[in-house]
Amino acid sequence: MKAAKILSIARREYIARVRSKGFLITTLMVPAMMGIYAVVFPAMTRADVDVLRITVVDAGTGVGDALATRLADTRSLPFEIQPTQTVDEADVDSIRQEFSDAVRNDEIDGYIVLTPNVDTLALGQYYARETGNLIITETLESAIETTILENWFAGDELARIRAVQRAGMETITVSASGEERGGFLVAYASTMILGMLLYITVLMHGQQMSIAIVEEKNSRLVELIIGAVTASEYMLGKILGVLGTGLTQLGIWMGMVAITILGVLPALAMGAAVAELDLGNVLDVRTLAYFSVFFFLGYLMYATIFAAVGATCDNIQEMQQAMFPAVMPVIMAFMSTLYIMTNPNSFASQVLSLFPLFTPLTMFARVNVSEPPLWEVWLGILLLVGTSALTIWGAAKVFRATILFHGKRPSFRELVRMVRAAS
Amino acid sequence: MTAQLALKCSGLTKSFGEKLAVDALDLEVGSRQVFGLLGPNGSGKTTTIRMSLGIYARDSGSVETLGNPDPLEVRDRLGYLPEDRGLYPKMKVVEQLAFLGTIRGLPLRESKKRAAAWLERLGLADRAKAETNELSKGMQQKIQFAAAVLHDPELIVLDEPFTGLDPINTRLLKELILEQRDKGATVVLSTHRMDQVEQMCESICLIHEGRSVLSGVLSDIKTSYGESTINLEYDGEAGSLRDLAGVREVRDSGRTASLLLDEGEASQDVLRQLVDRVRVRSFELAEPSVEDIFLDKVGYIAPADSAGGNGEEVVR
Repeated sequence: MKAAKILSIARREYIARVRSKGFLITTLMVPAMMGIYAVVFPAMTRADVDVLRITVVDAGTGVGDALATRLADTRSLPFEIQPTQTVDEADVDSIRQEFSDAVRNDEIDGYIVLTPNVDTLALGQYYARETGNLIITETLESAIETTILENWFAGDELARIRAVQRAGMETITVSASGEERGGFLVAYASTMILGMLLYITVLMHGQQMSIAIVEEKNSRLVELIIGAVTASEYMLGKILGVLGTGLTQLGIWMGMVAITILGVLPALAMGAAVAELDLGNVLDVRTLAYFSVFFFLGYLMYATIFAAVGATCDNIQEMQQAMFPAVMPVIMAFMSTLYIMTNPNSFASQVLSLFPLFTPLTMFARVNVSEPPLWEVWLGILLLVGTSALTIWGAAKVFRATILFHGKRPSFRELVRMVRAAS
Repeated sequence: MTAQLALKCSGLTKSFGEKLAVDALDLEVGSRQVFGLLGPNGSGKTTTIRMSLGIYARDSGSVETLGNPDPLEVRDRLGYLPEDRGLYPKMKVVEQLAFLGTIRGLPLRESKKRAAAWLERLGLADRAKAETNELSKGMQQKIQFAAAVLHDPELIVLDEPFTGLDPINTRLLKELILEQRDKGATVVLSTHRMDQVEQMCESICLIHEGRSVLSGVLSDIKTSYGESTINLEYDGEAGSLRDLAGVREVRDSGRTASLLLDEGEASQDVLRQLVDRVRVRSFELAEPSVEDIFLDKVGYIAPADSAGGNGEEVVR
């Protein structure tokens, strides 16, 4: 194998990819989508209601008015509290009919029934058209709780109870290198981002490369190329070119992020907010290092699979059918990470993170939320590299054997025979 | 013939499924000459070429390309213009040429320089920055020829290089081929164009149904046939040349005809018969043309899609 020839193929592929419309589109689209996500998603979590018309129905607890006042004073949600209805406990059922009809007729959005209770003073029930919004239900629940506590306690005692309530519990991840506060959110986000980036870049450029290989086969250009370079040189060149494309794109995005953090945010007078966000915590070296390793290796392996698909197909239609099995591992790995992040050290997580087709995402998820034994990480990386090398080798053989082979796509058995014959 | 052969095939065999494409083919191409590889469509020329260049694996037999049993070992010294041609449609012409040079082992800078020089040479310098798909078929073909010779290969294989070229470009290409030979390269020309072979090739090999049916130095082959062909110009009825005694084949074009004589047949006897049937305007005794030899060995010229074939039916 000659490095110069591999580089020559890689260079051509790289230039063709980087100059393509697809590259421009994804380079701009992904940050745009992330931006939209960053703006729209928080807005969506803000309950997303214009006004929340709620009536408090007090069945003899005596804290109905206090609750209504508390809710009316709540800033985080746009409550419009109706006058409190005080009823007999015995009449609750019949009165509920009336209020439920009001909810159905969209006269109010919901109502809270407070019934007396020996142990807790009052039990709350929330009746509404929409009960799935956690922000609303949690706000209501905490308002009821606070109202009851204020009714029972006062002064220092109340202050102490409130303090205990707020204190809650902190989670700190203990690792060999130190201790990390609130690590989970960062881990979760960075795993998702790696997954998204891998998925988008590999899918985009890998598919483009597959198409390019199929087109080269169809244009018979490949006869010119394959007489001049070996199948392995061709394959490696293609994959390197696509790898370069992916890294270039990643570099551009990193640059955009850096400019946003360093330049745009302070300019928007959000400097204070950024300072609070501990950058050293978010972008710690370990995470970045693993991110780089798994992005690089993952991209390499998935690109190799796409190259193999391109090598075995004769036309674009055929390729699109064959593409699905090639995309599957990325999707399945992505889904596995959701499980792994909650159970990073279970046996299933171990297996999932050592299965080479999943490793780039699953192992990254594991090292992100926990500290798996180092030998497992290295084994994963080793298996990943081995699988990539094996795929490149196999793809080159298949490519060599099918390159001038026209007609229907070879069956798996034929492929195996070809690989044997060509080796 | 020089001791060092540019290409040698022995017992070369390749089949595709049931079909035997090349059948124990022997071929010897001496260096520093233009060699004609002839044969009708589907005779196995392209398959032979691909095996010789290491594109196809052979089933059995051996090749020695520039003295090396593995063509891939010497691939940077080989130039190839495939019959099925293609270029990257979206790539700029000069970049395309430079790329094709680098995969044959030229450093990028040198390849770019040579690409520019070749475009100048081909009168395409003003199209250097154009995308390839903006070029006419003929222009693309010239570029592909340049790609085949950019790296100064020692063995150049051209598979049907004249297909689709106009007379001016045909002449240009012919000059360029001879120039490569004069520089010391060996050119293997695979073609149906008998006139080109006649004009350019020193030696030939005629392939039919995957086998070599005739090979050697062209002038020797012709001499061995002797003056066994009559080139005739005549006026007369259609079909009046049928069933001449002592003539084994007649190719009648209406006003001219070639008559292939039986072995040992005296031409004077034939002339006597002709005088009785038609008005003879010109009567010439000659060595057979390559076309005559081709038809004699193969029995027909492949029709229509062969650019060189004239679609003439042969009356036996």
